[in-house]
Amino acid sequence: MNRFLRWLGIAVLVFIAAPLVIVIPMSFSEARSLQFPPPGYWLGYYTAYFTDPNWLRPTWNSILIASATTVLTMALVVPATFALVRHRFRGKGIADLMMLMPLAVPHIVMAVGYYSYFGSFGIVHTHLGVILAHSCLSVPIAFLVLSANLKGFDRTLERAALSLGASPTKTFIHVTLPILRPGLIISALFAFVQSFDETVVAIFISGRGAETLPRKMFDSIRQEADPVIAVISTLLFLAVILGVTAPLLISRIRSRRTRIAAT
Amino acid sequence: MGVNIAKLTQRTDLWPWLLLTPLAVYMAIFFVVPLADVAIMSFTEPSPTLSNYERVLTGGLYLRTFLNTFVTAITVTLCCLFVGYPLAYLMASSKPRTAMLILLLVTMSFWTSFLVRTYAWMVLLGNNGPVVWLLQTIGMERPPQLLFTRFSSTLAMVHILAPYMIMNIYSVMRKIDPTLIRSAESLGARGFSLFRHVYLPLTAPGIANGSVLVFVICLGFYVTPVLLGSPREQMIAGLIGNQIDEFLAFGMGSAMAMVLLVVTLAILAIYHRRFGLDKLWG
Amino acid sequence: MSSYLQLSGISKVYGQFTALEGVDLDIGKGEFVTFLGPSGSGKTTTLMIIAGFESATSGTVEVAGKSLFGLAPHERNIGIVFQNYGLFPHKTAAQNVYFPLQMRGMKKTAGLRKAEEMLDLVGLEGFGHRYPKELSGGQQQRVALARALVFEPSLLLLDEPLGALDKNLREQMQIEIKRIQRALGVTTIFVTHDQSEAMSMSDRIVVFEKGRVQQVATPLEIYHEPETKFVAGFIGESNLIEAKVTDAEKGEASNAALGAIEYAPTGKTSTGKDVTLMIRPEHIRLSRKPVDGRKNVTMKVETIVNYGDNALVIGKVGDLPMRVRVLGADVVIIQEDEECFISWTRENVYLIAK
Repeated sequence: MNRFLRWLGIAVLVFIAAPLVIVIPMSFSEARSLQFPPPGYWLGYYTAYFTDPNWLRPTWNSILIASATTVLTMALVVPATFALVRHRFRGKGIADLMMLMPLAVPHIVMAVGYYSYFGSFGIVHTHLGVILAHSCLSVPIAFLVLSANLKGFDRTLERAALSLGASPTKTFIHVTLPILRPGLIISALFAFVQSFDETVVAIFISGRGAETLPRKMFDSIRQEADPVIAVISTLLFLAVILGVTAPLLISRIRSRRTRIAAT
Repeated sequence: MGVNIAKLTQRTDLWPWLLLTPLAVYMAIFFVVPLADVAIMSFTEPSPTLSNYERVLTGGLYLRTFLNTFVTAITVTLCCLFVGYPLAYLMASSKPRTAMLILLLVTMSFWTSFLVRTYAWMVLLGNNGPVVWLLQTIGMERPPQLLFTRFSSTLAMVHILAPYMIMNIYSVMRKIDPTLIRSAESLGARGFSLFRHVYLPLTAPGIANGSVLVFVICLGFYVTPVLLGSPREQMIAGLIGNQIDEFLAFGMGSAMAMVLLVVTLAILAIYHRRFGLDKLWG
Repeated sequence: MSSYLQLSGISKVYGQFTALEGVDLDIGKGEFVTFLGPSGSGKTTTLMIIAGFESATSGTVEVAGKSLFGLAPHERNIGIVFQNYGLFPHKTAAQNVYFPLQMRGMKKTAGLRKAEEMLDLVGLEGFGHRYPKELSGGQQQRVALARALVFEPSLLLLDEPLGALDKNLREQMQIEIKRIQRALGVTTIFVTHDQSEAMSMSDRIVVFEKGRVQQVATPLEIYHEPETKFVAGFIGESNLIEAKVTDAEKGEASNAALGAIEYAPTGKTSTGKDVTLMIRPEHIRLSRKPVDGRKNVTMKVETIVNYGDNALVIGKVGDLPMRVRVLGADVVIIQEDEECFISWTRENVYLIAK
């Protein structure tokens, strides 16, 4: 049983890794359409991506929208998380549940809603519309990350600061915020990625005016399978590799430094 | 001190609401209202009747799509379980370093955009892709059409959703006390009976979590079935998209969206009563 | 001693539950006072009321004649060492100690210099640049102490600060804390549930139980002259014997199992009253034969618990359980299930008033 599960596990590993890896050679392929093995390798489609405004504009739109979404989401979620984690009040259970609701509703349902609702105020196909919609979808993710961090926060530290003469405001600035910073950064990063990757709502409401990168990719895959998609996929995958391994590397360097300091 | 206490309790009552208000107002305007809009449109577009629901719940195409969606979601969930359980086990039973590397890979897959992974499957399963090439090299002269079938979209969805399953099961397996397994072995449980009577029940919460999550996401999945699936066998989200995009039939689209929403929420509500919704994405 | 910290009539009620009931306390300047009691006895609640983290339902707290009423914790100038130290993980030891000075507007160079001086005083010379997680438990404790003292607080509160340390380190820190406290002369309240810690460190001990102060006295008084049954039972080991006073003037009482018992007369009771008598186990002598000039009774030995340098002999006189502590060498004379004599003098019997 043991050995069987193990071999199956290794097979699954290949199943998970293969699709991620395959896009890398394809991005260097000379072929106009999907072809394996590639007839030859070049950097032509990388040049194409970095010079074609039809790809750069959506990329820029996505960065802009994701950044604005992150700021808006955090501005709303940080105070709310403090309220929900640190206070008890009537209706808290319902409030907790409401925070998670956007995760429970399929994005296609929200897409229909936003398409008609934003249409009525004329903000379909605008950056504003996409930002407002994405912020809703990012709220639960940012909340989950931040509330887990805040629950683990040792409140003795705040009491200690107060006893040492720091006013509640100074305590928040000098103690609470710095200690919570990693949690805040991760929470914001999750909000950013959620918006940057969000496809379904963007397909329906971003339109030509605020076309996001996922929407452009979706349309392009559906219509012609432009080889530039392989380039973007490779770049996005590299960004993920960087994002996932960077914290590991940093913590390893830090712990090594700590060990040196302690000896 | 009486005054002090009155002030204090008043503050503790008011303060959380003050902090919560901006978000509450925002969610009311940009989440609840658009959702309510869908509900309203399902009854009023194009005219205020129940005819949308009548058509959705009796029309052959719609019922077939619902059924198809359900079957696909169940298939994907079972495949994810079949794929995820062994890998989670591999991680839980390997040395910390190996486990870390596998977790890294799963995490990378998890964070890679749905679109990128969908595209990768398009490359893999294409008519000139590596899988067909492999089949040809081992002697199959006319490989079957893989892309734009139910097979390709199901396979890609399994790949895309497997990390949810793996992470949920792994987080439970990691916490299992190894002495428990050893003590079960010392009591005579071996091989399959050890697995069935000890390991499987202990990992059940992870299986439940992962399955609910995968199933629910799959029910409303839009991107992958639309790009990789057969146009003749759509899933519900794709059909809703068609109604809006192509026919501008907001009433029909909304009615279908409501059915999807109600089914999804019902599943999550059952889950919430037993385990608590916050655990699901924990 | 003139009163420096004064608590009068402090009560704390949470809904139906009364956590503190009418606590009155006077503490002199420079005194080291321990709040001792089991968990939930109200000692920590009292500490938190002094610090300003809890507000009393009624009563007043005064320091040097000034009421603390209405002052927030950060306005009270009270140093606290918390159970888990509460060191800021994102600041070095020196920055932690500098923090209260920073909050009081002291310049960085002067403040950090003063912080280093304080670290020297607590025996952490050269550790200023370390982060808390790079320090051992005992070192963290010292940083917390330095931080709570550097701003010359009017009071130092220690909330079970030694709980997390192992036994040896604990004894070392007890001595350290006493040394530093004496050197600075700061009025200190130390909260603990460990009676030996309380005995070895304090000028005076305040025993708490069920939200009330049971006794306030020096460690020796608490040990030898407990005012209540709870104090007698909580501090050290004791044989508590229910008896009826037969002659209050001479100091005689009687108990069903022990017969007539003489005690040192105190004038605190009168003939015919039901009282509790206390005999410490180490004051009882165990022998094969009765000893002249002492009260002798026969005890059936049930259990002998050997500690090496001493042993605890548990047995019964009639149906009254008795505990006797003997030095290790003496214990060889008896075995379990044997009968022997136990004896004491009038001076060994203490009458508990309540």
